[in-house]
Amino acid sequence: MAVGLPEFVDNPENRCPVVLLLDTSGSMIGEPIKELNEGLETFKSSLMQDTLASQRVELEIITFGDTVGILQPFVTIDEFNPPQLKASGTTPMGKAIMIALDSLEKRKQMYKDNDIQYYRPWVFLITDGAPTDSWEQAASQLKDAEAKKKSVFFAVGVEGADFNTLREIAPSTRPPLQLKGLDFREMFVWLSTSVQQVSTGKIGEVKQLPPLGWGEVPT
Amino acid sequence: MSWKVSFDSSIGVQHQKLQMPCQDYSAYSLVNNEVIIGAVADGAGSAKLSHQGAELAVTKAIEYLTSYLDNFQGTYPKNPINFEQNQLLTIIVDYLNEKAESENCLLKDLACTLIAFIATPKWIIAIQIGDGFLVIREQEKEEYQLVFKPDKGEYANETTFVTSDEAITQMKVKVIKGYYPFICAATDGLEKVAIKEKDWLAFPPFFKPLEEYLISTENPENDKSYLVDFLNSERLNARTHDDKTLLLCLHHSSHQ
Repeated sequence: MAVGLPEFVDNPENRCPVVLLLDTSGSMIGEPIKELNEGLETFKSSLMQDTLASQRVELEIITFGDTVGILQPFVTIDEFNPPQLKASGTTPMGKAIMIALDSLEKRKQMYKDNDIQYYRPWVFLITDGAPTDSWEQAASQLKDAEAKKKSVFFAVGVEGADFNTLREIAPSTRPPLQLKGLDFREMFVWLSTSVQQVSTGKIGEVKQLPPLGWGEVPT
Repeated sequence: MSWKVSFDSSIGVQHQKLQMPCQDYSAYSLVNNEVIIGAVADGAGSAKLSHQGAELAVTKAIEYLTSYLDNFQGTYPKNPINFEQNQLLTIIVDYLNEKAESENCLLKDLACTLIAFIATPKWIIAIQIGDGFLVIREQEKEEYQLVFKPDKGEYANETTFVTSDEAITQMKVKVIKGYYPFICAATDGLEKVAIKEKDWLAFPPFFKPLEEYLISTENPENDKSYLVDFLNSERLNARTHDDKTLLLCLHHSSHQ
């Protein structure tokens, strides 16, 4: 019996959009921003070990500090060069969240226009402080997006962050988490494992995520 | 005339890594060698006993479709009549409910998709709940036909399960008249490599070799390594991390 093997159709890969909202305000100067930068390196190298995930996970980085905006437009992990973030200025978190929600909807439209299947986007916010701009509207839009399953939002605070406000911003079903020390590395390993699970199968439900070794619900 | 059949499931690399079982299941049954009843199911990755759910749904679907055929007592009408699709779903869900009670789990812990069919040389009844695909080829035609567009939500990992509230409205049933000697049922782990997503067309270079394999083998059971090796190949696993199942059927004359 001599029969050839099936050939594969060349479909575009599914995409799994991830938005990192990173606090680059003045209070992050020194050790925190250094650890955060190293965490981004870890995120890339950890996802690169999985070929399929590295082609499916698309990262966008929005920073909020002396300027607020998209620092890294959506890019697949294999094309991502981790930036060296610098810290200064205030904490315009509300505006950053609005930018994230808006850019996600644009990204989804791009997927639809190009017949690309995609997973539910993740928005991951990291801060060590409190918003210095008005955040109420952003919080309400975020809750709406969560309720309509437009995205999954995680808020992570470094010790000293304003957890009362973060609780107001984060969806009630997923309260903010406190990072243990400055262990961004461990957090990004977790994030990469989680989005890897989401992006490579039908097994990415939020309740199934790996245990949180790096954080805890603050009291 | 008879059916040659080959089927296999292979665990996805992601399931292996997370130490999850293979959640796909498939089976078939031949009636008088002339009619084949087949089913494949894909257990939901998020449901803890879905590998059992997949097996139960497949078993029950084949049982129900066999009893439906009994109505004709060996002679098959030109058009299938009185097929009660809702009854099929009710019977499967009742069975899963029973099982959930005895296993002390929830119905949704057994969540799975389902593709099932009865194929005679005169007609096919095709049934699908959720994703995965059923592809058929009509006699004398080149084209491989995707029977149903996979049922997808907005996101790539969303679909309907037999246990979903929407199953009854999302369930698709089609009666296809004609002689279709080649049938391929598969779970969604193979969708990306076999179906062109832009227009939801079956990709012939994927299906043709599978059909040729059935044509050329005297006994699919002896040559099963072709299918097993393919489903476990690195080439395929580089493109999909999910469980994969193929159920291939070919109707042929015995002296071929």
